[in-house]
Amino acid sequence: MRLLEFWLHRLSSGIDLICEMTGRAVAWLTLGMVLTTFTVVVLRYGFNTGWIAMQEAVLWMHASVFLLAAAYTLKHDAHVRVDIFYSHFTPGRRALVDLLGGLLLLLPSYVFIFYISWDYVWVSWEIAEGSRETGGIPAIYLLKSTILLMAGLMILQGISRILHNLMVLTGIEQAEAPAPPRPGTPGAEL
Amino acid sequence: MEYLAFIMFGAVFVLLLAGYPVALTLSGTALGFALLGSSTGSFDNAFLQALPNRLFGIMTNETLVAVPLFVFMGVMLERSRVAENLLDTMTALFGRLRGGLGISVMLVGMLLAASTGIVGATVVTMGLLSLPVMLKRGYDPAIASGTICASGTLGQIIPPSIVLVLLGDVLSSAYQQAQLDAGNFAPETVSVGDLFVGALLPGFLLVAMYIAYLIGMAMIKPALMPVTTDIHVTSDGLWLRVIKVLLPPLALIVAVLGSIIMGIATPTEAASVGAMGAMLLAMAQKQLSLARLKDVMRTTTQVTSMVFLILIGASVFSLVFRGFGGDDAVREILTSLPGGVFGAMIVVMLLMFLLGFVLDFIEITFVVVPIVGPILLGMGMDPVWLGIMIAINLQTSFLTPPFGFALFYLRGVAPAQVSTMHIYKGVMPFIVIQLLALAAIAYWPGLATWLPGIVYGN
Repeated sequence: MRLLEFWLHRLSSGIDLICEMTGRAVAWLTLGMVLTTFTVVVLRYGFNTGWIAMQEAVLWMHASVFLLAAAYTLKHDAHVRVDIFYSHFTPGRRALVDLLGGLLLLLPSYVFIFYISWDYVWVSWEIAEGSRETGGIPAIYLLKSTILLMAGLMILQGISRILHNLMVLTGIEQAEAPAPPRPGTPGAEL
Repeated sequence: MEYLAFIMFGAVFVLLLAGYPVALTLSGTALGFALLGSSTGSFDNAFLQALPNRLFGIMTNETLVAVPLFVFMGVMLERSRVAENLLDTMTALFGRLRGGLGISVMLVGMLLAASTGIVGATVVTMGLLSLPVMLKRGYDPAIASGTICASGTLGQIIPPSIVLVLLGDVLSSAYQQAQLDAGNFAPETVSVGDLFVGALLPGFLLVAMYIAYLIGMAMIKPALMPVTTDIHVTSDGLWLRVIKVLLPPLALIVAVLGSIIMGIATPTEAASVGAMGAMLLAMAQKQLSLARLKDVMRTTTQVTSMVFLILIGASVFSLVFRGFGGDDAVREILTSLPGGVFGAMIVVMLLMFLLGFVLDFIEITFVVVPIVGPILLGMGMDPVWLGIMIAINLQTSFLTPPFGFALFYLRGVAPAQVSTMHIYKGVMPFIVIQLLALAAIAYWPGLATWLPGIVYGN
């Protein structure tokens, strides 16, 4: 039992590390988007020039940010909840909601998205699908593959959350204290 | 089998109350119902085959690229203490007038809301900064909290607001669909820019009405809003400070909005200029360290991912809803209501108002608007007008006790001497103002549609 506990804990922390690193890495792309879009603007209005690939790069960065950071955002519990009741629940009750949600809502959703997108992405690789624009980035299949990556990361992080909530419910682990609202908290309504 | 669509809608609503993340509840519940439906033969799985293409559509939607850029701009401004400086200066400027502090708070809240576009952040920031000051100066707790909540929710309606970007994108596809359904194969378009321009007059109207209310109260019941007497600033020093503090954020807003309105830049381009400007502003105020930059980038990443995961969840939900024939059923109900367009509009607005107690703007925009939007627009409504009505309606919903979001945010940071009842009492007059504005825009649609017509000449 102890050994199982140990390995489950290792598994959960390993997944968390992967998601955390991915999230921190793609966070830099937000700055990249600002700088690249700004450069596109300056080039167009200042010098009357520009490259399609540069505009597509912004799109790629954008898609990578919200797809690849979805699991990271889940880890930080920043996906918005309707917390009218949830915020008054005991830690145990919250862990139960999250456990059931993880098993019945998260995992089915993202296993399904992974499954249904597999052929879609595969076909794109097979034909080495390029950009629809001339001068665009000639590797749409890479962009499409981020859907699978995203679903994969969500499944992994879902498993980590489920393990974590199980350990909270069985008293092995302490629940994390919910963060008090602060300005600009992600999840704070826009 | 349309009834399954409505049962699903109800089920999602109930499940959401359990508190599991909205985006995951939406997709999980919808897929559960799809499974149920396909096993009983009432759901065609082909609808879900469209999902990957939908996802790719979201990934390559150029309008939505504006979202992370505006979030970046807002978070950067918020973390660089622009609000503190603004509030100090405005108080010094207006503090000696009757009701002046309240008006300063309202104006700063408006500027902050306009520049960040984030309601939660505005209410919390203003609550932390200005509520203690107002209470110390002897302001009535109810008036003080009402002012802060109302000014905070302005972030949704005053452009550049993030929710208007989302709403603009959804409305534009709804508008296209409505016209295609009507057999018009060269449909007119509506853009985020149209919505921004359309929101200007209604936004300023709201601010003007808020301020008029504050001035009125200051005249009728001066005891509730005492004059500030302990400010001693030489007048030339003050004006210099006003220019120094007020000018940069104001210039930023004008540059961003101006370039969109003049048709020089798309919202995405303008947002990148705004984000650059916010960074330079933070740098100029010596607030931009590497740690803060990382903080801003990570918060931006999380907010963006949160928004788009809801969009993904809502896409799954609406595919299944449509697979059950739900949208046809909604169309039948809405078109058979007594009172025609007017009746349909009232029902939709009421529904959104109620949903606004539980769901926030993003979720309603992604889940409800795609369903009702094409129908209402097909009945001949103006898309800009509809967008503004939805925006102000939801803004009102977020102010309304006991479930309004803005009230929760303020409650979270208000000192103990401000009771929940104070907050409820304080927002009441503002709710009345909201309803008046809503009625005014319903009666004179030109308030929303006149300016876009002038600017874009359509």
